[in-house]
Amino acid sequence: MANENEDKFDAIVVGAGPAGSACAYTLAKAGRNVLLLERGNSAGSKNVSGGRLYTYALELVEEGLYQRAPLQRKIVREQIMMLGAESAMTVDYFNPAFGGNDAEKKAAQSYSVVRASLDEWFAGEAETAGAILASGQVVDGLIEENGKIVGIKVGEDEMRADLVVAADGVNSLLGQKAGLFPDASSHAVGVGVKETIELPDSVINARFGVTDAEGAARVAIGCTDGISGGAFMYTNKGSLSLGIVFNADQAGKQKRHIQDIFQDFKMHPAIQALIEGGTSVEYGAHLVPENGYDSIPKRLYRDGFLVVGDAAQFGINTGLIIRGMDLAIVSGLAAAKAALKTTSPADLGPEYMRQLDELLLMANQKAYRNFHHIFEINRIFHGYPELANDALQFLFTVDGKVPTPMLKGLLNTVRKHASYGQLAADGWKAFRAL
Amino acid sequence: MPNCLVCYKWTLDEQDIKIKSEDLSLDSSRAKGKISDFDRNAIEEAALLVEKLGGAVAALSYGTAAVKQSLKDVLSRGPEKSYWVADASAEQADATVTATVLAAAIRKIGPFDLILLGEGSSDLFNQQTAPRLAALLGLPCLSFVNKLEVEGDVVKATRKLDDSVEVVTVKTPVVISVLSEINKPRIPSLKQVLSAAKKPNQELTVADLGLTPEDLAPKAVRKSVKGFVMQRKNIIFKETAAAANVAKLKESLASLGLS
Amino acid sequence: MAGIFIFSEDRALAAQLLTPALELKAALGEPLTVLALDAAQATELSTLGADKVLVVGDSATWIEGLGEPLAALVAHASVVLVGGTLRGKHLAADVAARLKTGMTTDAKAVRIAGGKLVATRILYAGLAVCDEELPLPAVVTIRARTFLAPTTTTAAAPIEQAVAKADARVTVESVTPTSTAGVDITAASRLIAVGRGFRAKDDLKLAEDLGKVLGAELACTRGIAEDEHWLPIERYIGISGQTVKPELYLAVGLSGQVQHMVGCRESKTIVAINNDERSPIFEAADYGIVGDLYEVLPLLTAALRK
Ligand SMILES: Cc1cc2nc3c(=O)[nH]c(=O)nc-3n(C[C@H](O)[C@H](O)[C@H](O)COP(=O)(O)OP(=O)(O)OC[C@H]3O[C@@H](n4cnc5c(N)ncnc54)[C@H](O)[C@@H]3O)c2cc1C
Ligand SMILES: Cc1cc2nc3c(=O)[nH]c(=O)nc-3n(C[C@H](O)[C@H](O)[C@H](O)COP(=O)(O)OP(=O)(O)OC[C@H]3O[C@@H](n4cnc5c(N)ncnc54)[C@H](O)[C@@H]3O)c2cc1C
Ligand SMILES: Nc1ncnc2c1ncn2[C@@H]1O[C@H](COP(=O)(O)O)[C@@H](O)[C@H]1O
Repeated sequence: MANENEDKFDAIVVGAGPAGSACAYTLAKAGRNVLLLERGNSAGSKNVSGGRLYTYALELVEEGLYQRAPLQRKIVREQIMMLGAESAMTVDYFNPAFGGNDAEKKAAQSYSVVRASLDEWFAGEAETAGAILASGQVVDGLIEENGKIVGIKVGEDEMRADLVVAADGVNSLLGQKAGLFPDASSHAVGVGVKETIELPDSVINARFGVTDAEGAARVAIGCTDGISGGAFMYTNKGSLSLGIVFNADQAGKQKRHIQDIFQDFKMHPAIQALIEGGTSVEYGAHLVPENGYDSIPKRLYRDGFLVVGDAAQFGINTGLIIRGMDLAIVSGLAAAKAALKTTSPADLGPEYMRQLDELLLMANQKAYRNFHHIFEINRIFHGYPELANDALQFLFTVDGKVPTPMLKGLLNTVRKHASYGQLAADGWKAFRAL
Repeated sequence: MPNCLVCYKWTLDEQDIKIKSEDLSLDSSRAKGKISDFDRNAIEEAALLVEKLGGAVAALSYGTAAVKQSLKDVLSRGPEKSYWVADASAEQADATVTATVLAAAIRKIGPFDLILLGEGSSDLFNQQTAPRLAALLGLPCLSFVNKLEVEGDVVKATRKLDDSVEVVTVKTPVVISVLSEINKPRIPSLKQVLSAAKKPNQELTVADLGLTPEDLAPKAVRKSVKGFVMQRKNIIFKETAAAANVAKLKESLASLGLS
Repeated sequence: MAGIFIFSEDRALAAQLLTPALELKAALGEPLTVLALDAAQATELSTLGADKVLVVGDSATWIEGLGEPLAALVAHASVVLVGGTLRGKHLAADVAARLKTGMTTDAKAVRIAGGKLVATRILYAGLAVCDEELPLPAVVTIRARTFLAPTTTTAAAPIEQAVAKADARVTVESVTPTSTAGVDITAASRLIAVGRGFRAKDDLKLAEDLGKVLGAELACTRGIAEDEHWLPIERYIGISGQTVKPELYLAVGLSGQVQHMVGCRESKTIVAINNDERSPIFEAADYGIVGDLYEVLPLLTAALRK
């Protein structure tokens, strides 16, 4: 039998998502004795995510690391869709510079990723670097001694470490057990559903106007039954990821089920045309931290204990951009750096916060601090997308009848969807948020 | 105190194998490996026996290079040591090849009192390996066992057959295949997983075992593997009012003369 | 002496094996020998097209222990067909190992092509089918009801004795027939199959009531029989249970995993009742209702009673 000392680690990282693996990888590479615990039968098996990763985060962990990662396509097209009842207006922004430069070994700004393979790869990197990965293990408690966290519990088994890192995702049980924050209240999180649909690459390329290695990221609004939120669509190799993220609180008040809203979105003629003929291979639902900076708990550490990634509620959702994985990776790195830098337990937490600042994570969160107020303008999700579509319908309709004068027609269209007073108020709100 | 060996197969998890609609070929790119379902029962039974009687359990598997992924899992379930034969031939192996390789390995690492296997592997479900292995090793074989008692060198087994339950006794050494009802395999605890990392494992190459290319060529060659798709009408009633659905189903059944 | 040999300790199954065996005989032009367990079986099978019948044991023999003597008897065979009972599969694998030859388990069809035996079988519990190509000699097991027994009788083939002694190392202490409550669900033309969607044994009454109205027998998934013991094991359908082909298979509260469906997918009409629209059973169904069985079953029973 193993004696008690053998059961002690330098660090135990709970959760092999991007945050946990980044942390375990960095610690193990520096020679620390790390245990990485994951409840899924393999890393990534339980994770649901849209699937666009901003590359800078992996570059921070280790230059060139992204080249080993199972990345799908470089995102060079940013597309925004406003959906009317049957119609759609799409803005397509193409910028080859987003694709980086292979010759100069410059990474693309972002890539589409498939979580099952990304997470498995990243946890595997941590393992190769020397961490011990144990999957199928649900951590259900912390060991506390003299106000310090000294280990974790998995059922009957206890395991000790100098440092416990909670990388256990948005509903962090460990953060709650450590008393750092109460249950994530539902207004602070969004709910997301996500489906993977397989299609041949040739079909994806034709439908999204991309080449084999390049991809598009598309967001759509006007598809959430008036609930604040939006849909996303990413092109992978041989598949599309699509899903909806929206406000859990408003969704709860709606009678309709999130799956039905998602179904309607998929049936929208403009979306149907993009996914037609594909086979659904994966479907899942998950929560997302949504309120940005203001949701982040006041304290992210205790003696011997750090909280990273979604567990710390890091997340940026601008409606056009959903970020979580990059922040998870950066915060996992920050935790590892703090552990490597400090020797006294009391310095660890403050050093972690310093690292979060140094790596600009907090600055990013602050920059988008008020952004979520934009979601309080409900007409963005119900009203304005229809307005845009009606306006275009007016501009493009030629039926031989005498047309309404241009200005009058447009103003009529606007008034159908919102009063001038509402427009002014929404404009002011948006201005303040930005 | 029996010296036990468990033979287990590292198979793909069939739940993640998809059928491609274009040509009905199988896409196993998303499928992960697992210890073949009933082999988990065989491992558990050996572990339980040794926990009760003392003795030892080793594990043996023949597979492609992927078989290495199984070591941590199998060692966390009780065996103290694992032996593995990694060879590309395993991809196309039939029961003839598998039993030949296992028998050669056992001649090298054995002898064992009890050699346990699963009733059938979850991919091929040949249900052949145990009797074949016994024949090659010249040992008696008890198949389809759902209860096992060992006392000294006497093994008493209850076998569940199509239309009867049979109790048989035999003296060790013996080859045994177990049914899934025999026990409930453990979910390895964290300590067991961590201790697995410290347990020894040993690779045996086909050359070590003196096997020739001919030994490794399957007799039963699998050709034209095609996903099975059912052609069904798929008329699904899903109104919110159950009564409306029931009425429609009644109509459909009536139209088929089935009401 | 090349030839085709068949063996099964199950009488009905032995007769069924003669159908593919006679086709192989025609294709290979080789004699067909029946290995019978006792005199009664020998007489019964002698008029179904075989060239010769060998009586190899008696009904008290431990079938699984006959590998060595049977392997000697079929040493020069081209094809050996064995009835795919569990005893039969054990024996067949033993014989195949002694002959150093390939074997297909639970073939659905067999034919000769290019001097080889080609057998159709399933893989991954029924997810896929494939052809297995085996050089001769080859051993094949075939499950009950895969083929119908020949209907035309022929002149009785000669019956000879060939004493075969079973492996003496194994002692059979007792054999207890499994009590079958008198129902053979494989013969039922309508089945209602229940799964883990039922929350308690008593709730099966909902299915029984519907069964009375429809004239259907109850069947189930493995968990209902093996884990819950709510129904006898001979009522569970699937790869390790029964294979059925009824006119109507009404699947209630079961998810439709491949290991189950492989046992019923040749049913004429499949109907599903399940509250999860994403359940795979709906892909396998002709008709389905998405709904709570506790609500749907009583309504359906009442509706059909009218
Ligand atoms: C629909 C949807 C779309 C999204 N789209 C994007 C996107 O395009 N780009 C982007 O950057 N972000 C996106 N996000 C957000 C992103 O998924 C998260 O921010 C990111 O996954 C956070 O990583 P993490 O490692 O902190 O947590 P997670 O990825 O949630 O990982 C936590 C891990 O901990 C494990 N775990 C939890 N509890 C325990 C326990 N008790 N014991 C052991 N293990 C445990 C879990 O199994 C999991 O593997 C999206 C989210 C959703 C829901
Ligand atoms: C090697 C191997 C061999 C196997 N052999 C067999 C075999 O021969 N036969 C067999 O059956 N299985 C077999 N299995 C098991 C098989 O894989 C499945 O696990 C099993 O068939 C599932 O049983 P189930 O459908 O009853 O339960 P579940 O899969 O749990 O399904 C229950 C279903 O009920 C639905 N439901 C729940 N509540 C309600 C409600 N109120 N109203 C309506 N619907 C409801 C659920 O949506 C769900 O779809 C085998 C497995 C292995 C690994
Ligand atoms: N490649 C293998 N390596 C080790 N054991 C095996 C292998 N293949 C089959 N077995 C064992 O033989 C049993 C029956 O397999 P099969 O004859 O393929 O149905 C399995 O349950 C395993 O215990």
